[in-house]
Amino acid sequence: MNALPKTVPNGLQRRSFLYRQLQQAGAEFAEVNGGAVAIRYGNNEAVELDRAKAMGIADLSVLPRTGFKGTGTVEWLQTQGLTIGQESNVAYRQSGGEWAARLAPTEIFLVDSLAGSGQLIDRLNQSWAWGSEKPRKAIGYPTPRQDSHAWFMVTGQHAPDMFAKICGIDFRLHKFAVGQIAQTSIAKMSGIIIRTDLGTTPAYHLLADIASADYLWPAVQDAMKEFNGGPVGLNALRRLEG
Amino acid sequence: MKIMNCPLNGPRNISEFVWGGEVSIMPDPKSVSDLEWGEYCFIENNTAGVVREWWCHVPTSYWFIAERNTVTDEIVRTYPAGEIFNKRVEFAKQSEDKK
Repeated sequence: MNALPKTVPNGLQRRSFLYRQLQQAGAEFAEVNGGAVAIRYGNNEAVELDRAKAMGIADLSVLPRTGFKGTGTVEWLQTQGLTIGQESNVAYRQSGGEWAARLAPTEIFLVDSLAGSGQLIDRLNQSWAWGSEKPRKAIGYPTPRQDSHAWFMVTGQHAPDMFAKICGIDFRLHKFAVGQIAQTSIAKMSGIIIRTDLGTTPAYHLLADIASADYLWPAVQDAMKEFNGGPVGLNALRRLEG
Repeated sequence: MKIMNCPLNGPRNISEFVWGGEVSIMPDPKSVSDLEWGEYCFIENNTAGVVREWWCHVPTSYWFIAERNTVTDEIVRTYPAGEIFNKRVEFAKQSEDKK
């Protein structure tokens, strides 16, 4: 992946609600799909990569995500070319690297790949429309997630130990498989955790109420301290993914 | 920590759940008396023994049914509400009925 040019969050249309905290932590930003994403934290690149392998957290909140819900949702998404299996609380990887998280039999939370182009999400949003036939065909309805959930990614070998401090679920690698979802309480907040490793590095998406992001970001980092964890940029995640 | 088994999410700490009251079957709104309707809406039986209750898994807003012994506080069984409520309820339009 090519290095992205530096930029400032104020100069773009979209930025993370955490951008002040990210700036204080030394973030450098780059434009991804019209938004300002923290790509690195001023560290030596190798040092940041090591941190991501051991214990890191990245803010992906500017990257595209959406959802669809209701009777007929999964069938409609399948006609749009998505691969979605039978089981709930499992996330299914799409051909472009996106993940379709089946939160319930008729509910999908769709997160983009780390490229963040939003191609699949844009296409689905454009294709979705209720027909004029009566009774109306059940195809579900969109549940926009861009402004409902903050989106972090927790990475590294120590991630299961760190989660054990703030959450009641067992995230150890042999207990919580790639693609598995936990909808649970994290640091006293309701949230969604999805394991989608980056290469050989354990990695967990963390999605939780956007209005409390300012609390959750430092709360998780507080739990990471004993593992020498800290923020990592999108560049490091992309390099881990290979 | 006490553990409850959510039919959607599996075993979770009890702190992730909230209680939603007894499960009772709705009387027919067309023939029911006001007293019976009021009882259905507001009165709890407070049975000592195994009862059926609504519970919600808060992180997913998933409502389901639990059978719980109110004397020993043991959770006997949990299952999706669809096991009991498996038919759509049609409410006739009252105003049209009277015409």
